[in-house]
Amino acid sequence: METVIYLFNTFRDVIASLFLFGSLLFFAGSAIGMLRLPDFYSRIHASGNSETMGITLGFIGLMIHEGATLTTLKMAFVFLLLFIGNPIGSHILAKAVYKTGTPVWTLESKDADKILGKQPAKNDHAQDEPVNNKKTKEEDA
Amino acid sequence: MEKQSVFNDKTIVGSPTVHLVSMFIVLFVFWMILSGRSETKFIVYGVITAAVTIWITYPLLLIPNKDKTKKYFIFGVNPVKLVTYFCWLMWQLFLANMDVLLATTSQEMAIDPKIVRFYYRNDNPMASAMLANSITLTPGTVTINVEDDGLFEIHALTPGAAAGVLDDTMARKVSYLFDSECDLEAVDEEDA
Repeated sequence: METVIYLFNTFRDVIASLFLFGSLLFFAGSAIGMLRLPDFYSRIHASGNSETMGITLGFIGLMIHEGATLTTLKMAFVFLLLFIGNPIGSHILAKAVYKTGTPVWTLESKDADKILGKQPAKNDHAQDEPVNNKKTKEEDA
Repeated sequence: MEKQSVFNDKTIVGSPTVHLVSMFIVLFVFWMILSGRSETKFIVYGVITAAVTIWITYPLLLIPNKDKTKKYFIFGVNPVKLVTYFCWLMWQLFLANMDVLLATTSQEMAIDPKIVRFYYRNDNPMASAMLANSITLTPGTVTINVEDDGLFEIHALTPGAAAGVLDDTMARKVSYLFDSECDLEAVDEEDA
């Protein structure tokens, strides 16, 4: 009997670890997105990765590890609170930046090819350069 | 001037008794989970605390609509519908997460950030709040502004996320949750 319980607990911990590793994957993706994306609005999306799937899988893993106790129920409440609170925080940050008039980065922005990791076309390069210089002068003035 | 009792207030949508009892049950279960003790003394404390809390806070949980002709209880949703909606939302979150994860970690980032606008009108302010919250919760879309006339301004990261916002599936689910008609109208890019 003791062997069965031991095996069951080991199996449960393996499942819990799988969920925690899945959570780690989404957190890592969130961090990569945070570094690669171009502007404030896009980076909020990267944080959305960790704050939804990351915490969901993480909390499921912890609940499986904990088993059917009162702590599991408390964790469920913490999870629900995070789920309600997180989007409000994201929205307030985005709204504050939008109200101050920060422009939204689009594919038409001049550094688009560099950000997206594309090689600039060689023929267009000579034509583009004077235009870019003009733009920077206007911005400076 | 005598204060009007909530039981005689005809502008409240739904029955105040049902609201009070359901919130009492929720608060009492919350107390029991946090305390974790089943002695009579603590259960009596829990009952008194839950009853006093809901009695004091009930008027604060009623929000008026734009014309101030009706008052909505903010937790006045069918729990079964809410759980169904939550399960559907979790599945949508998983799909959106994979979309954003692949878009941001691939060699050439497959992103097309832009602002998407649409009108969503509902008499119940909680429906608009629920829709805005659900959109923000979904990775790839963030609600950046909601105007009084129902204009939603959404920042979408990937083309798939932008299409998902303009598709009225989520708005219809939210309208069904609050027992109302779905009134969604997309705004063309040229007009904006």
